[in-house]
Amino acid sequence: MIYLDSAATSFLKPPQVGRGVMKALSSCSSPGRGAYSAAMYAADVVLSCRETAARLFHVPKPEQIVFTSSATHGLNIAIRSLVHPGDRVVISGYEHNAVTRPLYALGADIDIVSTRLFSPEEMISEFEKKIPGASAVVCTHVSNVFGYVLPVEEISRMCRLYRVPCILDASQSAGLLNIDFSELSPAFIAMPGHKGLLGPQGTGLLLCNESGVPLIYGGTGGFSLQQDMPEDLPERLEAGTLNVCGIAGLLEGMKFVLSESPNRLRAQEIKLMRETIRQLSGCNTIQLYYSDNNALHCGVLSMISSKYDCEVWAEKLASCGVAARAGLHCAPLAHKTAGTLDVGTLRISFSPFNTSEEIRAATGIMRKI
Amino acid sequence: MPILIMFRSLTYAQRGARVLERSGISASIAKAPMKMTDKGCSYCVRISESGLTMALTALERGDIVYGKVLRFSGEGEYQEVLS
Repeated sequence: MIYLDSAATSFLKPPQVGRGVMKALSSCSSPGRGAYSAAMYAADVVLSCRETAARLFHVPKPEQIVFTSSATHGLNIAIRSLVHPGDRVVISGYEHNAVTRPLYALGADIDIVSTRLFSPEEMISEFEKKIPGASAVVCTHVSNVFGYVLPVEEISRMCRLYRVPCILDASQSAGLLNIDFSELSPAFIAMPGHKGLLGPQGTGLLLCNESGVPLIYGGTGGFSLQQDMPEDLPERLEAGTLNVCGIAGLLEGMKFVLSESPNRLRAQEIKLMRETIRQLSGCNTIQLYYSDNNALHCGVLSMISSKYDCEVWAEKLASCGVAARAGLHCAPLAHKTAGTLDVGTLRISFSPFNTSEEIRAATGIMRKI
Repeated sequence: MPILIMFRSLTYAQRGARVLERSGISASIAKAPMKMTDKGCSYCVRISESGLTMALTALERGDIVYGKVLRFSGEGEYQEVLS
């Protein structure tokens, strides 16, 4: 299989991730549930993972790193902490359902900044008009459909200026773009562990500048007589047993990202994306959505075919051993903004572990189809 | 006699123990004695009495918040050194 769906899950991972999971399975119990060696070893793995994440994202203290089961989980905590029914919340036109559905469920007044693809100046200008007086801003760092890198530094700066709390969705950027939590200073950044951070599915991180409102309530291993959740992070937002085996794998994934550097990993993905664009640009039945400016791109490429419905196209590719994703990618708003809502797109997304040979083979199959 | 430094959570106790180890003070994490906690289960860091002054300085320098400091006085009894 040629795996080109890393924007969904980093199926290709460094081997130490699996080894970390297996080691945790055989040596870790639960942190905070005892002081015997298996519990303390688990606690050590968990703290090491927090410390590594704090280093990677420039977070002042490891307790500001909360483990979640996914970016969606983290976004739900963040949104429920800041948004109340009727609040006006400004979002980009490229948000995922992980942002829009919780806002919709809360009854927020969703104010969408709908600007063209790969037009950051236009987006900044529209955000500037809408941010003053808003209750919160929620913005993705990179569109999961088009790989468009949004100008989150500028958006964060405006949020600080107008004192509007900001939530960043780093689902497609964590591990691939430099994210400086201290400099951006948002209320929260949510990210999955299983994409650019190369960890297992079922892991995620929420970086917190605020203590937040718990989404779930229960045991934390401490202050058991107290019926309110603890005030201190991370326990406040981490009721129940942690996914220690997943966290152990995530720790190894993040160590790999730190050793290679996000910039290098992204550069490899961009190189593969450019190769794909070169190979497919002569095909007049395929329309590609991309920018020539690498600064505006991560390794995600959407396309439509004049010959096939995107789902049929993806099925044909799958039958030839190419794994790609088709449809709306859980982000109908992004398609609406870009004008592809009626047809969806075929999306191919790259991993630093993909090779040029794989790209040549996959694009050869695409041209032939 | 061992000294117990109480912490608000396991995460704080771990961070405290790491700061102490980095300062050359031998420290081990333990569950705090039930009768010394007013909110239920809690964690503490155990050190030797000779390292107490240095330990508290290291924790303060490391910006690690700690709670009561207790001395084990034998037969399950604890005496508050600092609160």
